[in-house]
Amino acid sequence: MAQFKNSTVKIDNEEKMSGKALFTDDLPSEGFLWVRPLRSNIPCGRIRTINVPKLPKGYYWVDAKDIVKENVVNIIFSDWPVFADRRVNYYGETIGLLIGPDKAKLEELGRLLQVNYDEEIPHFKLNNSKIHKSFTKGNLDEVIKNHDFMLEETFETGYQEQVYLEPQSMIMWLDGDKITIKASMQCPFYIKNAVVRTLGCSPDKVRVIQPAVGGAFGGKEHYPSMMAAQLATAIMKIKKPLKMVFDRSEDLMYTTKRHPSRTTYTGYVKDGRLVGVKAHVGLNGGAYLGCSGVVLNRGLIAVVDSYDVPNLDVTGDVYVTNTMPTAAFRGFGSPQTIFAFEMFIEHIAKAIGVDPVEFKLKHLVKKGQTTAVNGKFHDDIILPQLVEKAMEMSDFKRKYKEYSKPGSNRGIGISTFLHGCGFTGSGESTIINAQLKLTKDENDIVHLYTSQVDFGQGNRTTLKKIVSDTLGIPEEQVTHEAPDTDHTLSTGPTAASRTIIIVGYLCEKAAKHLKEIWKPGVYQEWIEPYVGPDYIHWDEDTLQGDAYPGYAWGVNIVEISFDPITYQVKVEGAWSTYDVGHAIDERIVIGQADGGLAQAIGYGYLENMEMAEGRFRQKTLADYIIPTSADLPMMETELIDNLFAYGASGAKGCGELTFVGGAPALCHAIEMAINRKIYKIPANPEYLMELVENGKD
Amino acid sequence: MEKISFYLNGKQVKLAIDPSTRLLDVLRIRLHMTGVKEGCGEGECGACSVLVDGVCYNSCLTPVANVMGKHIVTIEGFRTTKQYRIIADAFADFGASQCGFCTPGMILNAYALLKNNPHPSEEEVRIALSGNLCRCTGYNAIVKAILEIAEKGDIVW
Amino acid sequence: MVNHYIPSSLKEALKVLNNHDCYIMAGGTDLMVVKHQKSGIVPNFDKDVCYISNLKELQYIYEDEQGVHIGAGTKFVDIENSMIVPDLLKQIIHELASPNIRNMATMAGNIANASPAGDSIVGLYLLDAKLELVNVNGSRLVPIEKFILGVRKIARKSNEIIKEIFIPHHDDLNTYWRKVGSRAAESISKVTFAGGYQVEDGVVKDLRMAFGSIGVTCVRDQKIEQKCIGMTVEELHKNIDNILNDMSKNITPITDQRSTKEYRYKVAMNILKDFLNVIE
Repeated sequence: MAQFKNSTVKIDNEEKMSGKALFTDDLPSEGFLWVRPLRSNIPCGRIRTINVPKLPKGYYWVDAKDIVKENVVNIIFSDWPVFADRRVNYYGETIGLLIGPDKAKLEELGRLLQVNYDEEIPHFKLNNSKIHKSFTKGNLDEVIKNHDFMLEETFETGYQEQVYLEPQSMIMWLDGDKITIKASMQCPFYIKNAVVRTLGCSPDKVRVIQPAVGGAFGGKEHYPSMMAAQLATAIMKIKKPLKMVFDRSEDLMYTTKRHPSRTTYTGYVKDGRLVGVKAHVGLNGGAYLGCSGVVLNRGLIAVVDSYDVPNLDVTGDVYVTNTMPTAAFRGFGSPQTIFAFEMFIEHIAKAIGVDPVEFKLKHLVKKGQTTAVNGKFHDDIILPQLVEKAMEMSDFKRKYKEYSKPGSNRGIGISTFLHGCGFTGSGESTIINAQLKLTKDENDIVHLYTSQVDFGQGNRTTLKKIVSDTLGIPEEQVTHEAPDTDHTLSTGPTAASRTIIIVGYLCEKAAKHLKEIWKPGVYQEWIEPYVGPDYIHWDEDTLQGDAYPGYAWGVNIVEISFDPITYQVKVEGAWSTYDVGHAIDERIVIGQADGGLAQAIGYGYLENMEMAEGRFRQKTLADYIIPTSADLPMMETELIDNLFAYGASGAKGCGELTFVGGAPALCHAIEMAINRKIYKIPANPEYLMELVENGKD
Repeated sequence: MEKISFYLNGKQVKLAIDPSTRLLDVLRIRLHMTGVKEGCGEGECGACSVLVDGVCYNSCLTPVANVMGKHIVTIEGFRTTKQYRIIADAFADFGASQCGFCTPGMILNAYALLKNNPHPSEEEVRIALSGNLCRCTGYNAIVKAILEIAEKGDIVW
Repeated sequence: MVNHYIPSSLKEALKVLNNHDCYIMAGGTDLMVVKHQKSGIVPNFDKDVCYISNLKELQYIYEDEQGVHIGAGTKFVDIENSMIVPDLLKQIIHELASPNIRNMATMAGNIANASPAGDSIVGLYLLDAKLELVNVNGSRLVPIEKFILGVRKIARKSNEIIKEIFIPHHDDLNTYWRKVGSRAAESISKVTFAGGYQVEDGVVKDLRMAFGSIGVTCVRDQKIEQKCIGMTVEELHKNIDNILNDMSKNITPITDQRSTKEYRYKVAMNILKDFLNVIE
């Protein structure tokens, strides 16, 4: 038997294992028409003409001319058109939809359809900034005048594809004059709002229902809004039920990825301490900005990771290029800077001749200190305990000493990191305004309504458990169905590690209130609005203040062996400790820990996605390599409680936390094994060969 | 169109069909076996795994002509067996299923492994599952669940 | 209009092939990828297809005094589990593709697909394998290096089928195998190398070196091998740089979405060096 504290079998466990769970493409869809996008095959240019072949009866073409109200997808910064209108800005941009009953026929028509362009010279360089951010802390000028040592380095991270196992998919039909949508998604209300905006219709004319969802990792946060806006435009024209399911190669080539980044640090050391850092973070946002500004914010806020650096001068840019737009992916900007800073701080230590791990530990942030953006760490920080525990689990100190010897071809590395939970700043109170509805029927069955999508994280189970535990009733006495926008209020998107820290907290408060007014045998309802900690103050324009309601913390240790003949890395061991406040369900949190670290290890050394002339070179899962079971070791994780006052039973977030530290821990280990410095990920064998043959030690 | 017949979950199926049709499409579209998933369509992810005469195939790469006369078991058939129950219980115990999209294929591959090798080592488990991609679990819980079953002994394989 | 033939005997299959130019479908693991269009659409075959995976007559492994005979319909999994197949091939198959693919695919299919990254081909080059090709009139035996002509180009006449792979006995040959893929399992090779050697009284009696994924076909240069045969092990080790230099002319990799030519070249050389150093 597995040993987990306070864990229950997930609500959807049996239906998923037995194959009974219906994912979007499994839903009955007799009479639905297939939708085949027609995409740009150049990276940049004007559309001169679209020559649609004569369509057989029952086949349709839909494009920008059919837009009902507004040709824009409602994403944070709404600049991405539903359909390319007169020009295309990236290879793969949707120009229109071919729709009809037979898929093979649609392919044939797709080959006949001709778009003529006036091609323009595409822009791929990272120099066209559309979003610029900056902030300072302390006084870096003073440090620049007075320091013992200075180091400047630049780090790069590549694209990463989510590879949710279920590709993007959506069905849509009309129920009278009401649009109903089922899709693989993260955020039902984002989809609803996107349809409402492009059609200019009343919100009560759109309903979004979540079926089973096969993974998301950020990749289904915004992209389904695009699909919904396209299908809604089509359905208003042809009034027939529609189905769009991407094949894997379409999903790889034409959906959003993690932002590639280039980060430059200049660090200043005085009396053995890193006293100042000048940083610039550049992200490739692709052709449209979408959520890139917010991704940049998160990256900038994490610019010195979990370390105390009193003087900072930080700038960041989102660059626009003629490439596939980049968007949300687990970590949302912070994995890029946390990788870069973790490498940088160790490089500084090596350069001044001190032990990198001791140097890092000396700089760990403490309660009461100011954050990078001049907020305050209000809560207890237990990083030293997390570090100690992780070192003990992995036998770190012995291995560290042993593998440091030249020629060992083995390495072990440690990263410490934080992740701000929930939307940045006071966004939870000012932008999202989550409201949670709890009802109790005449049979005293409690019904929980949230808009949180369970795409594997187990939140349907966790949130329900918070309610039943708080009410002191058996779990079976509470229901928590997958979201349906007609039945639930918006508790916000399933993103930003906010589900437990924010919505879980709402569940607990609502349940407490319901308990207070509980009358057996009658229908009762309670609506709980989110009220965050009153000490959180944030200025979005200057990026100053308390960036998050709370922080979760973690430590990763990764051990590797290195083959000097092939430059290949094998991951031999991985150990983690986390402070997620309190685990509502330990098995579920450990599941996040395992999966997050595995994905991060892939990000660090395997997952290579390159852009050539505006196109991704890796078009299949044979070319875009993610870890298999044979690539990973058994991972061990321990959780240490550190209760958060504004979380259900003290719980904070954990989804993204488990991702952000894996790549640097791995790369520290590789650096030890090859005695070279790593400046970019993925640290694949091709790059490691260059380092071993020509790199700096 | 050719007449092709095979056994699906114990029952004979006769179809008039293009013999090159992917078994995956036959199972999902014609026969509504939606527990068989399409994750990649090119034999990389294993989500479309089915048992063909007791061994696991990627149904996305199998032309239906190749299963003429053979016995195919999908998760829909396998879930009624006691072997399924043992694997599913261990999966539940360790939290081996998250989004669930890879899970039916993973369970069938776990069965195919244990049937041939009731006491696999960790390395053997990892190799046996190496054609079944999972993006949620890092495989930890899956491997642990299978090793736990292996501990229990030969049971019913 | 494309026709599909599902013969129930080899004889019937040969008749079909005699009258029609066909794709020969065995396990399907290559053809079904190449001809795949989109989910839910039948594969796009531009000529007739002959399905042979159910022909029991082609599924066998046996050995005689000359060597091991593997029927063309034998699945990789059965070759991997066989007690009589040379260890080198079993080792190669163990790392090839994924368990499901090994349950479906055949070695003859791997050969006929003639991909530069076909792993089993490298072992077969090393072991001087021959292919028995049959048609309605009879059969011929072709060395594998004469059968594979280029990338996806083979010397099969349209009325022929590979009936058998024959591997001569090499009981005293020590073998060495390295597959460099993009991950630990289920990967398409960036570089592969099979080596073989036999040393008697400190003298090299046999030396073989075969590379995959670094040129249009598997590379085995018997001239270089011949130069080394007869050397003492000491001489061989002294000549490693010369051998590498000679071999380097044959190593002509490309850069693609999986790796770079620089990496493939360097790793091929490193592996060769390691192999030569292993010989004692």
